[in-house]
Amino acid sequence: MSSQQIPSSLRDIFADTLEISSDEVTPELSMESAETWDSFRHLQLILSIEDEYGVQFDPQKIPDLTTVAKVLQALEQKGATL
Amino acid sequence: MESNVDRQEVRQALSDAVRNEDARAVLRHAQELLQSRRPADTMFCASALRNMRVALVKQAVCRPLKTFVVRSVTVEPILPFLTVEAALAGYVLDIEIGGYGTYMDEMLTPQSSLDRSQAELVLVLLDLEEISGRLPDLCASGLGTDVEAEIADSIARVGQMLRTYRDRNAGRLVVQGCVVPDNTSLGPVGDGNLKHSLVNAVKELNRQMLAVCTTVSDCVFFDVDEIAARYGRANWRDARLFLASRLPISAGAFETYARGLVRTMSVLFRAPRKVLCTDLDNTLWGGVLGEDGPHGIVTGSAFPGNCYLEYQRYLKQLGARGILLALVSKNNEADVEEAFQFRAADLAVRLDTFVAKKIGWNEKSDALRDLAKDLSLGLDSFVFVDDSPTECEAIRQYLPEVAVVQAPADKPWELVPMLADKWFFDSAAITEDDVNRSKEYEAQVQRDTLRDTTTSRDEFLQSLGIICTFVSAVDAPLARSVQLLAKTNQFNLTTRRHSATQVEHYATAAGGQAVAVRVRDRFGDAGVVGLALVAQDGDQCVIDSFLLSCRVIGRGIETALLSLVAQRAAKMGGKWLIGEYVESKKNAPCADFYPQHGFERVAESGGAGSIFYRLDLTERMPISPAWLTIEGDPTYEFAADTIVTS
Repeated sequence: MSSQQIPSSLRDIFADTLEISSDEVTPELSMESAETWDSFRHLQLILSIEDEYGVQFDPQKIPDLTTVAKVLQALEQKGATL
Repeated sequence: MESNVDRQEVRQALSDAVRNEDARAVLRHAQELLQSRRPADTMFCASALRNMRVALVKQAVCRPLKTFVVRSVTVEPILPFLTVEAALAGYVLDIEIGGYGTYMDEMLTPQSSLDRSQAELVLVLLDLEEISGRLPDLCASGLGTDVEAEIADSIARVGQMLRTYRDRNAGRLVVQGCVVPDNTSLGPVGDGNLKHSLVNAVKELNRQMLAVCTTVSDCVFFDVDEIAARYGRANWRDARLFLASRLPISAGAFETYARGLVRTMSVLFRAPRKVLCTDLDNTLWGGVLGEDGPHGIVTGSAFPGNCYLEYQRYLKQLGARGILLALVSKNNEADVEEAFQFRAADLAVRLDTFVAKKIGWNEKSDALRDLAKDLSLGLDSFVFVDDSPTECEAIRQYLPEVAVVQAPADKPWELVPMLADKWFFDSAAITEDDVNRSKEYEAQVQRDTLRDTTTSRDEFLQSLGIICTFVSAVDAPLARSVQLLAKTNQFNLTTRRHSATQVEHYATAAGGQAVAVRVRDRFGDAGVVGLALVAQDGDQCVIDSFLLSCRVIGRGIETALLSLVAQRAAKMGGKWLIGEYVESKKNAPCADFYPQHGFERVAESGGAGSIFYRLDLTERMPISPAWLTIEGDPTYEFAADTIVTS
């Protein structure tokens, strides 16, 4: 998956929440690689994403959404319109 | 902002403003971007505002506030919203967050992280579980014999926690109440009908928490339930995230919550506006008096006249709590008088409901300037309500410190909600002096008339029969003393906005003084209008604060207050009385106060804009003017009779 496939609305959320430039938002970006992606920003990210796409994640699955690709995949599974 | 393209443009403008360090532009663009109501945009704004914090403070757009959050729930995801709402309201919050399980330690233990933070603002955000965790079980049957005792215990704990903190710290407190729970086992009917249902118990708990807050100085109750109810309780909490992450509020409610919290804390740091100037045509009543005549204007019990009646009633209520009402209208004065007379039965206000009237054909900006002068108030305490976009724009341009509300002429029913949504009259404490203020301004008009008929100044002042009563600033009451410190601008030598705790400190410190003066004369009671705070340092008595409400300037009351302070200083062994003048934008009227009373300038004195003066009390003592009658509270240690004999 190329970075072009990340919809701009999702790219914005990652970039703005993690305070990084939108070029840095790649599918591989992960909680490990991004310095600002701590557990509170994680919750913040999830809340913003849920709000933006009108979905709700199962709290037990939330800790596993640790890369942009995984978030995308979870959104697709929920049938969100990206 | 409809399209994504627009959003990107606003984001770009915001980034540019950050780069140019233009604080006002940053706030303007942030406000614009936030209209998208997308969480990413809030994050973007919060990040931009954090980068701008220094510039926001430096350019005097925001006041910095060291803030500590005492909490038992997850608040971190709400912080960007809090940052944004605070900045829009004029505050840069430097936030430190306490631990989940350590709030008791923080509040109760000396040298806790809360103490060490030296926070100026403390937000106490606890959940029902911590405040009164046993209530849900005790209320299960709705009969609950132990419910009242449990509430009393909980309130005692909260009170103890707040007072213990207050004994050690001066930080201003915001104490959040509880949200009335939904999804209770009794269901809505049982909740509503059973006295000890959980819903009724939590309502009672909130009432008692609010009462406790009023007993602690510089403490305000945050009625979060009211905000949740307005938002819709059903959507307020996301059970999933509360149970999984202890997040007390659903993501959709963050903005509403943050705004409510900032609105509440604002009353601790700013004074409410004092004057509302209203237009007549298409604002106070419908139609144009000059064209429609007194019988043609729209007001009264039938629609749409009752929309205007609602507004008139709202004004009257504002008046009853001490907001001064003024008429500013382009009309012929005789026509207006006639309209108020002919249509009295259809109007909720009378002409004399308004303490001041500017009716004529002059520019409204001039009228407002004149009013400010007549009432001795700054234009920054004015609110202007008018339906004309042109008049509103003119005031915004010429008098930017005035708050402008444009009345929706085609939707008169919206004016009251519009006003109610504004924060400028917010106040957590209303004193008797506030309530009596209108009467005092009317008395001012009568005094002016008397001045015109008496010859000399002394004779005039003598004829007023002014009585000054000195009381301890702690009993003024204390809330009034703090209010004076917060609001007085023109005759305020140092403009230090002290808190209640600091006033108490001056009152109790060895050699300290905290004196307030109440003034009345044959026309009325001005209430407590002056204050002095003094600290003793060896043989020096240093006047930290000295102020007088501008309503009573020029009657020698400042001299009487200085005289009392000097007498007390001498009695406590002070040789030097030290005065300080710190120049502000507004306090030029008192720049020469100390030299005029025989003080000499201290050569080596003065930081930026600060000048020190001193008076040798063994050589000279300020004397209260002969036309003043001095009274003192007999229980007040240094009754003012010492002055009369001097």
